[in-house]
Amino acid sequence: MKITELMTEDIMCLELTSKTKKEVIKELSQLLFDADKISDLDKFVTEIETREALSTTGVGYGIAIPHAKTKFVKTPALAFGKSKEGIDYDSMDGENAHVFFMIAAPADGANLHLQTLAKLSRKLIDEQFRNDLLEASDAKEVLKVLSKIDKEEK
Amino acid sequence: MAKIVGVTSCPTGIAHTYMAAEALEKAAKKAGAKAKIETNGSIGVENKLSTKDIEEADAVIIAADARVDMARFDGKPLKEVSVSHAIKNAKALVDEALAGNFTIYSKK
Repeated sequence: MKITELMTEDIMCLELTSKTKKEVIKELSQLLFDADKISDLDKFVTEIETREALSTTGVGYGIAIPHAKTKFVKTPALAFGKSKEGIDYDSMDGENAHVFFMIAAPADGANLHLQTLAKLSRKLIDEQFRNDLLEASDAKEVLKVLSKIDKEEK
Repeated sequence: MAKIVGVTSCPTGIAHTYMAAEALEKAAKKAGAKAKIETNGSIGVENKLSTKDIEEADAVIIAADARVDMARFDGKPLKEVSVSHAIKNAKALVDEALAGNFTIYSKK
C-alpha cells in the first residue's frame, strides 16, 4: 500500500491553529472524522490520549506521531498537520513539534497499511527527509516528499 | 567485524518499534559494525534473530516497552532500555555496546 493512498489532501492541514497538545489531537482527529475515516470522534480521541499517556509520541526532531489502533477507525488513514510556531507536545527532546502524523489504524483487517507506517517511521530517522518535510510549504510538496517512501525498497 | 543484535518493541507496535530499529541499524553502520534488529510490532515479529545471530553477536540491545522473549539471550552482554531511549540515544548505546560495557544477562 502506498503512503499516498493513506494520506489525501482532505486530511492534511498545513496551518494548524492549535496551541496545545490536547487541541492538536482534537484538530487532527476532526479532520479524520470529517473525511469519514473514523466512526466516533470522542472515542477515537480517547484512544489517542490513552496511547500518549503510556509514553509521548513526540519523538523529537520537531515531529510527533500520535497513533491508535482501534475499532473506531473505519479506513486506515494518515492525517498530516503542520504548525509554524510549533506546539508543546511533551516531546522527548523538550522541543516544540512542528510536523504531525496522526495514524489511524483499524483494530482488525488487512495489515498492509502497517507495513507502510513502519516504513514511514523508519524514514523519520533520516535527517534529510525530516528537513524536507519541515520545509514543504503546501500539501502537494508534502505528498511529493512522502512519495519517496513509496519508491524506495524497505 | 563486530556484530550487534537487538529487539525493539512498543505498546502499539506501529511506530516506535521501527524508528528504534532504524536508529540502531544506522548507528551501528556508522560505527562500522554489523547489526540485526528484530522488530516485534503489530505486523508481528520481523527480521527474527536466529540462534546463530545471537551466538555471533558481541552485544545485545533490547529497546522495548512491551514484553520480549529474553531467555534466548542468556549469557550475552546485554542492555535493556526503553524504546524511546533507543531512538534518542542510538549512537551512545552502540558505542557502549562496542566498548564491551554491557553486563552479562542471566535468565532467572
